[in-house]
Amino acid sequence: MGKQSEVITSSENEVFDIELEADILKANKELAMENHAKLKEYGITSIDVMGSVGSGKTSLIKAIVSLLKKTQRIAVIEGDVTTTIDADIIASEGVPTVQVNTGKECHLDANLIKKALARLRLSELDLIFIENVGNLICPAEFPLGSDKRLVVISVTEGPYMVVKHPMMFYETNSVAINKVDLASAMGVNPSNLREDISRVNPKATVVLTDCRKMVGIHEAIQSLGLA
Amino acid sequence: MHELSLATSLVDTLLEYAQKNDTRGKLLEVHLRVGKLRAISIEQLKFSYQVLAKDQFLNGSKLIVEETPALIHCPKCGFRRDFEVADDSYHFVLPTLSCPKCGTAAVLEGGDEVVITKVRFQASSKK
Repeated sequence: MGKQSEVITSSENEVFDIELEADILKANKELAMENHAKLKEYGITSIDVMGSVGSGKTSLIKAIVSLLKKTQRIAVIEGDVTTTIDADIIASEGVPTVQVNTGKECHLDANLIKKALARLRLSELDLIFIENVGNLICPAEFPLGSDKRLVVISVTEGPYMVVKHPMMFYETNSVAINKVDLASAMGVNPSNLREDISRVNPKATVVLTDCRKMVGIHEAIQSLGLA
Repeated sequence: MHELSLATSLVDTLLEYAQKNDTRGKLLEVHLRVGKLRAISIEQLKFSYQVLAKDQFLNGSKLIVEETPALIHCPKCGFRRDFEVADDSYHFVLPTLSCPKCGTAAVLEGGDEVVITKVRFQASSKK
C-alpha cells in the first residue's frame, strides 16, 4: 500500500521465471463450494455415493429411496460413463432423476453436478443422492459439494477392498458393506472389512446391508442422519 | 486415471494466467508440485500435458514435476513421518494409513496438493 509497484518491461527473447502458487484443483473446489452453498440455500441435504463397479450403489440408493420417499422429497443424480440403466432403475421409484454421462472420465466433478442441479426443481426437494461413477480411486479426489459421503463396497469384491483403497475411506462419513448374504459363499468375513475401515477412519459409521432383501437399509438411513 | 482431467486443469490455469497478465511469448517450462497422496502417474500426466498443450503459448513447453511426501501423524503416540508404501506399482502407490508403531488410525498432513510453483517463459516482443 502506498508503495509503487515495480514495473518490469520485457525485452525480446528475454527469459522470465515467475514463482507461483497456483492450485490447479482450485477450480473444482470452488465449484464444489458453490454447489454446496446452492443446496444449503434450498435446505437440501446431499449425499455423494461412491464405490466400485457392481458393489450395489444403485441398489442401495433405490432401497433407501423406497423407504424415505413418503416423508422426504428426493431426487437422484446418476453418474455413469455411459447408458441410462441406473437412472431408469431409480426412476422406477417415481422420483426425479438426472443422468450424467461422463463419456471418458472415471469420476464426476463439481461442474457436472452444477449442470445437473440446474435441471432439478430445487425448491421442491429435501434430499439429493449423487451416484458417482463406479471407481474406488478417482472420485475421492474430486469433491462435488455434497454434505456427506457414503462408500458402498460388497463382499463379492473380496477381502482387500479397504486395504487397497484407503484414500476412498479416509474422508467418508459412512460405509455400507453390501451383499452380506453372500459373505460365507465368498469366504469373506464382514467383521474384518469393518476392522479395516476403522483402522483408516474410526469416525466412519459402518452398516451391513443386503439390498435385495432390504436388510440393513434402516441402519444405512440412520448412519447418514436421514431418519 | 484422472491424469487427463488434471492436465486439462493445468492447461486451463496456464492459459488463464497468461491472459490475465497479458503474457506474450512462449512458455518454456512449467513446474508442478504434486503430493504423493494424489496417486498420480507422473508419466501419464506428462503425456496428457503434451497432448493438450497445443496452444501457441504452451506448445513445446516442458512439464517438470516435483513429488512431495505426505506425513502421517499418530494422534495417540505422536509418531510422525512419511507414510509407508504397501505396493509401489506402476500406476499408483498405496499408502498405509495407520500408525506403524501402535496401529492407531493416523492423520494425514499434506501430500494432497497439485500446485504450479513456477513458470518460465520467453518474451516475444516489446510492447
